[in-house]
Amino acid sequence: MQSKKIISKFFFYLGIILIVLFMTVPVYILFRVSFAVPEDVLTSHPKFLITRFEFKHWEQVFKSGNLWPPLYKSFIVATLTMILALIIAAPASYAISRFDRKIKYAIILTLFFTRMFPNVGIALPISVTFLKWNLMDTNLGLVMAHLIEQLPFIAWILVSTFETIPIDLEEAASIDGAGRIRTLLKIVLPVAAPGLAVAAMFTWLNSWNEFTYALYLSLTTKTLPLQIYYYVLRGGFFQQAAYSTILTIPVLIITFALQRYIRSDYLGGAIKG
Amino acid sequence: MKFIKKYYFELLLILPLALYILGFTIFPILKTILLSFQDKDTGALGFSTYQYLFAKKDFNMAIFNTIAVTLVGLTFQLVVGLFIAMALKYDFKGKGLVRSLVLLPMGVPTLVSGVTLLYIFGTQGYLNELLYRLGIITKPIAWTSGGIKNIFVIAFADSWKVLPVVVLLLLAGLESIPNDVYEASAIDGASKTQTFFYVTLPLLKPSITMTMILRAVDSFRIFELPKILAGRVTPFLATYAYDEYSYNNLNASAAASTILLLIIIIFMVLYFRFVDRGEGVKGAK
Repeated sequence: MQSKKIISKFFFYLGIILIVLFMTVPVYILFRVSFAVPEDVLTSHPKFLITRFEFKHWEQVFKSGNLWPPLYKSFIVATLTMILALIIAAPASYAISRFDRKIKYAIILTLFFTRMFPNVGIALPISVTFLKWNLMDTNLGLVMAHLIEQLPFIAWILVSTFETIPIDLEEAASIDGAGRIRTLLKIVLPVAAPGLAVAAMFTWLNSWNEFTYALYLSLTTKTLPLQIYYYVLRGGFFQQAAYSTILTIPVLIITFALQRYIRSDYLGGAIKG
Repeated sequence: MKFIKKYYFELLLILPLALYILGFTIFPILKTILLSFQDKDTGALGFSTYQYLFAKKDFNMAIFNTIAVTLVGLTFQLVVGLFIAMALKYDFKGKGLVRSLVLLPMGVPTLVSGVTLLYIFGTQGYLNELLYRLGIITKPIAWTSGGIKNIFVIAFADSWKVLPVVVLLLLAGLESIPNDVYEASAIDGASKTQTFFYVTLPLLKPSITMTMILRAVDSFRIFELPKILAGRVTPFLATYAYDEYSYNNLNASAAASTILLLIIIIFMVLYFRFVDRGEGVKGAK
């Protein structure tokens, strides 16, 4: 009996180790390649362990002048998308959360179904229209496109945030003579602030990573994901790794900082990370 | 009228969001569907674009690949995800750390996970090297050169990226099953396997439905990973639609998107009709 227990424990931990290896090894390899000496990885028998570091590719990446414009564009677009998404979706989500159950359910379901549409099907007429409106290659155009995906996403999260705020709080304020807008600004929003912040950061991440709309709407300018794709097509072995690492760092930091907020209702809004 | 009076403030707050979704999601989709039924040259309504598409080998391959990658990927994700979620339900030393590490792919952008797996599945990549060192192969295998191998590589890449989400969804489902149920089934003398198939799985159905639907929709629309890992040798519906767009065949691109939308809708209908029968959604919400 005792030995059977030990064996089953052994297999349990073996399984755990395999799971952890499966999830972590690809990330290790990415960092490994970005710092690798060419002879160690660009052969038919690449080395697994890091024995030497080389920073030459990183120096090239920083000095080439190809890094800053896409980095800047990605940052600006993600930040503007986040701010606009909050401004448009926060009041709407509050309103949705205050509807009758039936109406609320119908609206939430509608938001969910907009996620079903293939984004290539939306991007096609959008890019045709934006070409007419001279919005190709502009930050504004890309922000508007990113909002298409991010608005339902952030609204989905925020509705459940506002639902947790008791309606008594508002009733108390209205008895004290506050109007509805005043109540919303002074009472509801401050209580919801932490939830808004978390949702905003996930929106920022989604826009930072976005690839499809950026590909459709960019002719000469590039975002960071497009820059990576460019190097994949060109076969820039180390540039791929270095740019990918740069794109990953903020995502990794924010995801782990917000780990405990990732609940299943967030996943319903489908965090892709 | 009473409705508007009662909710005028709420409606005012929703208006910008509703207009945006109407103008930039619903309207473009309708435009795409309309475009797909228009002839490229004459603009007359009809099925000429679809005839053109279905005569193309690449397009038929794209349909097959899209469905195949979803079936392979979803099966893998559900089985492995359930396995990991069950393991994380136990208490063991270092559980917090393991949980964090399992979430790691969540912190890696999809595009980057494609690049990383390029290093693993490349002809001179780490998988070939591992197999070589283990003595399983002597010559490197070209994993990403098209065909059925490529579908498995992309399904694997997709699975790696989304497993954390699948695990979290299933884990939340597992944790919502009350312990009494397990105690009762133990008292009735059920074996571990019996408990799993007759107690755990049926009670987990809402979570599984949620996972399947979210994943299937994303998997049918798969775009970034094939772009990185397959180039044009293995077309998928979304990448095919993009290719037609980049050749300026707007009608063909629209038709490919419409077919993709149709496949997603058919999947939903079939799933709710035959697998879920309407129980799952109520539970999931």
